Amino acid sequence: MRASIVRFGAWVMLPALALLVLAGCWDRKELNDLALVTAAAIDRTEDDAIVLSVQLFVPRASMSNQMGSIGTSGGDDMTVVRSAKGKTIAAAMSRLQERFPRKIFWGHSEALIFGESTAKSGIRELVDFFLRFPQPREHANVFVSKGEAKKILELLPPIERNQAEALRELSRSRVGLRITLMDLAEMLISDPGHAVLPLLAILPPPEGKGPQQTIANITGTAVFREDRLIGTLNQQLSRGLLWLRDEIRYSVVTFSPEGSDGYLSFYLLRSHTKLVPRIEGERWSMTVKIRTENDVIENTTALDLLEPDVTRKLEAELERAIERRVGQALERLQHVLRTDVMGFADAFHRKYPREWRKVRDRWDKKLPEVEVGVEVDANILRPGESGSIVTRSGNGKRP
Amino acid sequence: MLDNGKITPMQMLLLLFPTIVATAVLLVPSVTERHAGRDMWLSPIWAMLAGFAVVLTAWALHRRFPDETLIEIGERVLGKAPGRIVGIIYVFFYWHAGGMLVRQYGEFVSGVFLMETPTPVIMGGMLVVCAYAVRGGVEVLGRCAQIIIPAVLGMYALLVLLQLPSLEPGRLLPMFEFGILPSLKGSIVPQAWYTEFIAVSFLYPSLTDRSKGLRWAVFAVLLVAFFLTLTNLVALMLFGEMAGRLVYPVMSAARYIVVADFLEHLEAFVMAIWVFGTFVKIALFYHLLVQCTARTAGLSDWRPIAMPVGLLILLSGIWSVPNLQEMIDVLDSSSVFELVSVQLAIPVLLLLVALIRGKKAAAAEAK
Amino acid sequence: MGSWVRNLSGRPINPLSSNMRADPRMQTPLSANLGENESLLRALYADCADVVFRRFAIGGGTNALVLYIDGLTNIEELDRCVLAPLMLQTADLCAWPPSGQPAHSQRPPKTAEPPAQPAQSQRPPQTAEPPVQPSGPPGQSPGSPDPLANLRIPVSGAKPVADIAGAVREISIGGAVLLIDGRPGGVAFVLSKWEKRSPDEPKAEPVIRGSREGFTETIADNTAQLRRKIRSPQLKMREFEIGRLSRTRVIVAYIEGLADAALIEDVTARLGRIDIDGILESGYIEELIEDNPWSPFPQVLSTERPDAAAASLLEGRVVLLVDGTPFALVVPTSLFSLLQSAEDYYQRFWISTSIRWLRYLFFLLSLLLPSVYVAVLTYHQEMLPTTLLLSMARSREEVPFPALVEALLMEITFEALREAGVRLPKQVGTAVSIVGALVIGEAAVSAGLVSAPMVMVVSLTGIASFTIPRYSAGFAFRMLRFPIILLAGTLGLLGIMLGVLAIIVHMCRLRSFGVPYLYPLSPMNGNAMRDIFIRAPWWMLGARPLPGEPINPRRQSGGQRPGPEPGDGQG
Repeated sequence: MRASIVRFGAWVMLPALALLVLAGCWDRKELNDLALVTAAAIDRTEDDAIVLSVQLFVPRASMSNQMGSIGTSGGDDMTVVRSAKGKTIAAAMSRLQERFPRKIFWGHSEALIFGESTAKSGIRELVDFFLRFPQPREHANVFVSKGEAKKILELLPPIERNQAEALRELSRSRVGLRITLMDLAEMLISDPGHAVLPLLAILPPPEGKGPQQTIANITGTAVFREDRLIGTLNQQLSRGLLWLRDEIRYSVVTFSPEGSDGYLSFYLLRSHTKLVPRIEGERWSMTVKIRTENDVIENTTALDLLEPDVTRKLEAELERAIERRVGQALERLQHVLRTDVMGFADAFHRKYPREWRKVRDRWDKKLPEVEVGVEVDANILRPGESGSIVTRSGNGKRP
Repeated sequence: MLDNGKITPMQMLLLLFPTIVATAVLLVPSVTERHAGRDMWLSPIWAMLAGFAVVLTAWALHRRFPDETLIEIGERVLGKAPGRIVGIIYVFFYWHAGGMLVRQYGEFVSGVFLMETPTPVIMGGMLVVCAYAVRGGVEVLGRCAQIIIPAVLGMYALLVLLQLPSLEPGRLLPMFEFGILPSLKGSIVPQAWYTEFIAVSFLYPSLTDRSKGLRWAVFAVLLVAFFLTLTNLVALMLFGEMAGRLVYPVMSAARYIVVADFLEHLEAFVMAIWVFGTFVKIALFYHLLVQCTARTAGLSDWRPIAMPVGLLILLSGIWSVPNLQEMIDVLDSSSVFELVSVQLAIPVLLLLVALIRGKKAAAAEAK
Repeated sequence: MGSWVRNLSGRPINPLSSNMRADPRMQTPLSANLGENESLLRALYADCADVVFRRFAIGGGTNALVLYIDGLTNIEELDRCVLAPLMLQTADLCAWPPSGQPAHSQRPPKTAEPPAQPAQSQRPPQTAEPPVQPSGPPGQSPGSPDPLANLRIPVSGAKPVADIAGAVREISIGGAVLLIDGRPGGVAFVLSKWEKRSPDEPKAEPVIRGSREGFTETIADNTAQLRRKIRSPQLKMREFEIGRLSRTRVIVAYIEGLADAALIEDVTARLGRIDIDGILESGYIEELIEDNPWSPFPQVLSTERPDAAAASLLEGRVVLLVDGTPFALVVPTSLFSLLQSAEDYYQRFWISTSIRWLRYLFFLLSLLLPSVYVAVLTYHQEMLPTTLLLSMARSREEVPFPALVEALLMEITFEALREAGVRLPKQVGTAVSIVGALVIGEAAVSAGLVSAPMVMVVSLTGIASFTIPRYSAGFAFRMLRFPIILLAGTLGLLGIMLGVLAIIVHMCRLRSFGVPYLYPLSPMNGNAMRDIFIRAPWWMLGARPLPGEPINPRRQSGGQRPGPEPGDGQG
C-alpha cells in the first residue's frame, strides 16, 4: 500500500516538474529581449497630452572580445531616443512599446526629466505612476528642464557614455540639488506640500562641435507649490537654498576682504545647518544656525594668512558672505514665492505641535511672517599649502 | 506521544521567533502607522502584553498536563465531545491560518518579484519543501530553524546597518502629539499577531529541558517585540510619514540602499530574509496542522497524512481571499478576532476550567 | 549476538557465521591423520596452481606437511625457521601438541574432564587430550594453558588451527600451515610477505605541512601506522572478515574510554549485517552501513592519511581499516568534518581560520554561482549595477541560447572535461588541460556560442569546487548545482532559495551513526563550535567535539596558552 502510494506520487510529481520547466518560466525576460531605459523625459503638449520620451540603451555586440575596443568612447550610436504621445503617462508608455521590438524595461532608469510645460501643469500623477509601477527605481534623480525635456535626452555628451550617465554624475557630485523620486514624493505628501527640483539647461556647445555634442547642466532650482511650478531660483540663490537645507557639499566662496585688494576663495570642507524655531506669543521666529569649516584655496591679496588676527577677521567676513547668500535665497523663497522648501514647517511641527496644527492650513500665509535670523559660525582651518603669498616678494615675519 | 523528536529550548526560541516576525516585519509599519502615526514604534511594545498572556497561559496548562498539547488538554478538561470540538476548531483554524499565511507569502513574492508567475506555483513550491521538512518531525524543524534564523538575523542586521546613514531621528518627533491613544490603537492588530505564540503549547512537550521552557518563551516574546520595534523605528526614520503609504516599507528601504555606488538593489536580500523566515513559519504551521489533525482524529501515526495536508493548505491559500486588497483588509480587521479568540480566549478558558475542576477535586478530597 | 541483529529485509541472522557458511567441508576439524587432512585440502584447492603442498619428514621420521600460497609467503623465513629445524632435527624436538605426559610443568595435570576453556562458539568434540584452542581471534584468555608454549619452532607468529576453515584462512593471508601426522590440528605460521606499495603521500589529500605518509593496501601496515601514532594500549582493534568469497579483513579501531560504547556496538552490528560476495574497497562497506543511502552527502568520511585517522580516533570516533585499499573509513562524521583538511590543524590558527573562511565562501560559490548568474540575468536584471548590465547585454548579443541553456551546456562540458582529465594517461593529460582551458574557451566565445562572462562563471565555479578537501563532499555539491540551476531558470532567485532550503532540510534530517549531520551547528554546542567557523588555537580546543555524554570530555587540561613569563627580561 505504501509503496504504491509512493509510486503513484512519483508518477504525478515527475510530469508536474517537467511541466513546470517546459510551460513555465513565466517571468523570464531574456536580457537581449529588453530595451533598457536609461533616462526618461516628459513633456506636455498644448492639447494637454503627455509626450513621453525615453533614452534607450542599444547594446552593440563587439565583434571579437580579444582585440578591439568596445566602440568609441563617448556617446556614439549606443543610445536611441524614442517618444510617444498619450493621454496619461501609462498610455504613452504603451504607445511607445508598440514602436519597439524589445520590451521596455525601466529597471535602470536613472534620470527623470520633467519639461517646463509638464512642471507647470502639475506633476503629481506622474510621480504616482513612477512609484506605483514596480519597475522604476525610487532613487532615480529627478530634474526639471528649461524648455523641452526631450531635447536634453538627445544630447551627446563628450565624456560620459550617454546623457543619463552625465546627469547621474552631476547629481552625485552634489554641486546642485539632488532629489530622487522618493525625496520628491516625500516633499509632496508632507505638510506644506512644496517641492524643489534642480533645473537643467543646455550648455552651449563649444566651438566647432555640433549642436548636440554638449551636456545639460544644473543652472538653478525649480520651485513647486502643491505640484505646480511657480518659480525658479538662479544659481546664486540655489546655493543659498542648499545652505538652508543642509545639503551644501561643494562650495567655493569668493570675496574681497575689506581694506585689501584682491580676492580670497574659501573651499568648504564641512557644513551643518540647524533650524531652531521659536514661538513667543504671536511672534514666530526661526534661527538658521550654520557651522562650517573651510580651507583657503586662493589668495590674491597681500594678507598673511598665517596670522591668527587675520584669520579671525576673515572668518567674520566669510560669515557675512554666507549670511548674504542665505539671506537672498530666503528672501525670494519666503516672501516672493512663499514656499517652504527649507523645512521650516517641519521644524515648527516638531517643537510646537499644537501651535503648528492651528496654522498648518494657511502656512503659505504664515510663512512670510516668520522672522528669520541667520547665524553663521565659520571656521577657517587651514590656509592651504602655503602660508603667505607666493607671488609677492617676502615681507612680514615669516620666511 | 506521537512525535518522539526533541528540541532544545533555543530551537524553540528560534522556531517561535519567525512565527511572529516573518509576516509581521513586512506589514507592521503600514498597519501600525495607519492608526498610530508617528508613534507607531511604541505599538509593538504594547502588543507584547498579549504575547505574555498567551505564553503564561500555555505554560500554566503545560505544568498541569506535562505531556499534552492543547488538543489533549481540551479533551481532558472539557470531556471527550467538547474536547473534540475544540480540536476541530483548532484544525480549521490552523488550516485557515496556514492558507492565509502561504497566500501572504505568495502575494509578496508574486507582487514584487515574479509578477507573471501564477501564485499557486509559488505557493506550491514552498509547500513542497515544507512538506519535506514536516515529514522529518519537530526535531528537523528545530534544527532547520537553528540554522536558518541566525543567518536571517545576520542579513537583517546588515540591512539595518547599511541604512544607518540615511536614518533621520528627527522624524520621530513630535512624539505623542496626540497622546498615548494612537500607539495603543496601533497595537491592536499586532496583539493578534502575538497570540500566535500559542504554538508553544505544542512545543513545550517536546523540549529536552522542560524547566527552561517558560524562560525561553518569555525571551522569545521580548525578542520579537524588540525586533518589531526596531523595524518600525527604521521605517519611520527613513520614510517619515510615507511609511504608511508604502505597502512594503522594508522592501522599499532595501531598494534604496546604494553602497559605494556599486552595491545596489538589495531587495533580493529582503526576499531571501523573508523567504527563509517564512519557510520556518509555514513549516511550523504545517506541522501544527498535522499534529492537530492527527490528535483530534486519534491517529496512531501522523506521518502518512503529512503530504496530503500540504495540498489542503495550498487549496486553502488559493481559496481564502480573491486579491491582495481583500487580504490586507482581512488582516486588518477580522483576523484580529479570529486570532485572539482561538489563540488566547480558548486556552484561557481551558485554564480556567482546569483550575475550577482542580479546586473542586481538591475540595472533594478534603471532604 | 542473538536474533536482534537483522539484515535489511528484516530476517534475523547470526552475524559471525553468515560469512563463513557455504562450504560444509570447511567445518571439518583437522584430525590426526595427515593423509585425510591432506586429501581434504588438496580437494579443496584443486586447480589452484599457486597453492604449494610440501611433504617432508621431521628429522627423517614423522611425516609432516607444509602448505602455503606462492607469492604470499616469505619463503626464506619459512625455509629457514620452519623447514630447516624440522627436517634437520630428530623427532620430539617438536614438543607439540602435548601427548601423554606434559613436557612442561606449567600445564595442569590431565584429568578426565577438559580443563576450563573460555567459551567459544566453535568447539571441536572432546578428545582425551586437552582440546586445542579454536581458531578465533588471537590472544589467550588468562589461566588456560598455552598449547604452543612448548613449540620449539623459532617463529614468533604462530597460531593453532583446528579445522579446515582455520587453515584456509591462515594461508590466504600469507601464512604457512604445518600439519603433523599423528597430531590433531595444525599450526599456522604468520610469515606473510608480498609486493607492496610504499606508503607514499596520499595523492588525493596532499598537504603543505604535515606527514607525508599514507595508508597502503596492506592492512597490517595500516594498523602499524596507527599504532605508531597512538601508542597506548587503549587503542583497540577488532577484526572482522567480511565478504563470502573475498574474506576481506576489516579492522574496527577505536580508543577505549573515548569512543562511545553504543557507537562501537552500532558499527559492529552494521558490519555484521553485511552479507555479500566480496568487499574490494572500503566504498562497498561505506554504502552498506550508511544511515541514509539515498542522500547525496557522504555520511562516512574516507581518508588515506594515517594522521587524519589517528586524530579522529582521538576525537572519539571509530576508524575502519579495510584490507586491499588505502582508504580508511571514519564514523561518525558531520558536514563540517567533510569541509576540513588535516592541515587545518597543523598550521597556525590565523592561517587555518582564514583558509576555512575561504573554503566556506567558495563552497557556497560552487553551489550557487551559476544559478545566481542565470537567475539575475533572466529574471532580476534590475539587480545589476547599470554599467555591469550594459556590458553583459553587449556580450550576450550574439549568443543564441538563453542564459539557462548556456549555463547548463557549459557546466556539463566542464564536468566532462574534468572527468576526462582524471582518466587520461599522463602524457595526454597535460595537453588536454591547456587545450581545454585556453583554446576551447576562447574559441567558444569567439564563435559566439557562449558569452565571456559565462566562461568566467564556470571557471570560478570549477575552482571553487576544488577547494573542498574531500572529493566525495565536493562532488555532492557539484552535482547539486544542476538542479539548482534548473530551479533558477524556472523561478529565478526564488527557485534558488527553495533549492537551498530543500538542501538544508535534507541535511537537517541526516544523521551519521546517530550524530546529526550538522552538529555542532544544530543542535548547537557552543564549545564545539570553536572549531567550525574559526579554528581556535590549540590551547583553546579543550573540549571533545562529539555530542552525547562523552566519557572523557576534555582532551587537554586548562591553561595551556603559552606566553613569556612576566618579567622575562626581553628588553
